[in-house]
Amino acid sequence: MSDTHESIPLRVLIVDDEQPARERLQRLIAELGHYELIGQAENATTALELCQQLQPDVVLLDVRMPGMTGIEVAQHLNLLDEPPAVIFTTAYEEYAVDAFEAEAIGYLLKPIRKEKLERALQHAVRLSTHRLQQLSNHQAQNTARTHLCVKRGEALRLIPMKEVRYFVAEQKYITIHHTHGTDLIDESLKDLSVEFADSFIRIHRNSLVAENNIASIERDPEGQYKIYLRESTESLSVSRRHSAAVLKRLRGVHEE
Amino acid sequence: MRTPINNSPVARHFHLPDFCTAGSTLAVVLIVELVALLLTVARQPLQINFWVDLSGNSLFMLWQGLISSAVLCRCRAWLTQRPVTQAYMLTLALIVSIALLVSECIYQVGQSTTIGLLEDLFPSQHFMFLLRTGSIAFIVSSLALRYFHVTAEWRSSVELEAQARIRALQARIRPHFLFNSMNTIASLTRSDPARAEEAVEDLADLFRANLSEARSWISLKEELEIARIYQRIESLRLGDRLKVEWKIHDIPLRALVPSLLVQPLLENAVYHGIEPLSEGGSITVSGSFDGQLIELSVTNPLPDKATLLLHTGHGIALDNIRQRLQLAWPGQATVELQQSIGTYKVIMRFPYQDQHV
Repeated sequence: MSDTHESIPLRVLIVDDEQPARERLQRLIAELGHYELIGQAENATTALELCQQLQPDVVLLDVRMPGMTGIEVAQHLNLLDEPPAVIFTTAYEEYAVDAFEAEAIGYLLKPIRKEKLERALQHAVRLSTHRLQQLSNHQAQNTARTHLCVKRGEALRLIPMKEVRYFVAEQKYITIHHTHGTDLIDESLKDLSVEFADSFIRIHRNSLVAENNIASIERDPEGQYKIYLRESTESLSVSRRHSAAVLKRLRGVHEE
Repeated sequence: MRTPINNSPVARHFHLPDFCTAGSTLAVVLIVELVALLLTVARQPLQINFWVDLSGNSLFMLWQGLISSAVLCRCRAWLTQRPVTQAYMLTLALIVSIALLVSECIYQVGQSTTIGLLEDLFPSQHFMFLLRTGSIAFIVSSLALRYFHVTAEWRSSVELEAQARIRALQARIRPHFLFNSMNTIASLTRSDPARAEEAVEDLADLFRANLSEARSWISLKEELEIARIYQRIESLRLGDRLKVEWKIHDIPLRALVPSLLVQPLLENAVYHGIEPLSEGGSITVSGSFDGQLIELSVTNPLPDKATLLLHTGHGIALDNIRQRLQLAWPGQATVELQQSIGTYKVIMRFPYQDQHV
């Protein structure tokens, strides 16, 4: 233990949906002494807000939470200019992470032992996006994110995937068209189309549309297919290369 | 939109041993010899030429037995594809016809034989002879088939029970639940020792119920008590997020049931229905009784993203309950799943029974 801990204590945020679990972590941190607990969040959204406001050094993040998993929260946190270090907490190893990996990424099993918590806090490091992606792949279920996180100035905003209508790839960024407007994200359309393959259809080299947002598909006199969106007059063109696959998938939906 | 997903019927099976094996052939020979002995001994009065009689009978019946085995060996695949009752009828018919055919041959040989010494061995009355062999073949093979059926049923029920027991131990308490409860207790130990103590007692009761014999019977009252204990433990952890409505005033609490029917369903409901909702939700346990059948159901909210997971997750506990209900009331108990938008419901129906059989 170095002197730095005593001079500038690490600032810790607890995220867990269960009150007894939060209370226990709070007590353990108090007993350890050289850490400052700066806040507690009981769900993912609050966690992201508090992280922006309070800028903790370390976040103790429960993996299984309603709405959004801890792993997804960590993915969003990584968009911050200075993301906090993350230590995952969970009651049961459902993510098939072996012991070595667990050490490397900071993965604590509940009920958490004080010594293990201390060691994890001392070695807490920021997770790389790559690592998080690996971890996300370990998840047996729901690998697709439930929200997209966008930056507006310094602030992070969460956009529920349910509200996303379509993506259009611009030169460098992707524009998300959602029910409350548009936002830019720095991701690739290819990755998005893989991640959300269940609910989104690629209709063009540069666009990806939410399947349940499609009102109709029509063919214009030149033989070009166009997709009309629900509750809107907008239309998007379907490229020749994608038209067969789009038609097949939409037909499949209606026949079910 | 209601989709009844499963209504477990009791499958009755056609149990015919594989007569192509040496073991079965030996069994056939033994049965035939025993029957031959029985017939010879039963003859009044016991003649001096007992051994000659016995060998005659044996020879005659071995022909029938072994030809039947050979034919059944070839027809087995075809027979097992037929409906159960039909398969048994066909098997009987095959055996009886073979017996008649063999008898007919013997009779014809007897008619054409001229050696005086052997004449006593052959039957003289044509019709009576066929009737006698036919009915003996019918009675003996019915008994044998019944024996095979009962043994096979018994064996598969023993197997089912063993499987149910193993699965019960593996699957009943979710490790998740155990560790979360331990964590809750660890937290309460300091902040609220009295409640921590209560939680430990509750957890102990729950595990005692879980570790008891897979086939033990308890009253519905005790069964519901176990479910309530489970609810108490989960409430410590989930707080206001977990609400359980009990609508069970109409069911006879002294009814006997295999233990742990309700708690695993409640556990599923919490895991899949309540935990994924940040604002929580309400589970309904309701029961009704029509004088014969008791119906118990557990309804939980269904978060949309959990739709796909339900079948895998619910599967183990449900299979287990279904199997145990089957063992308890073969053919009379059902488990049904109903899934509609936003809710998921498991319904169990079983006969009312208030004393051990």
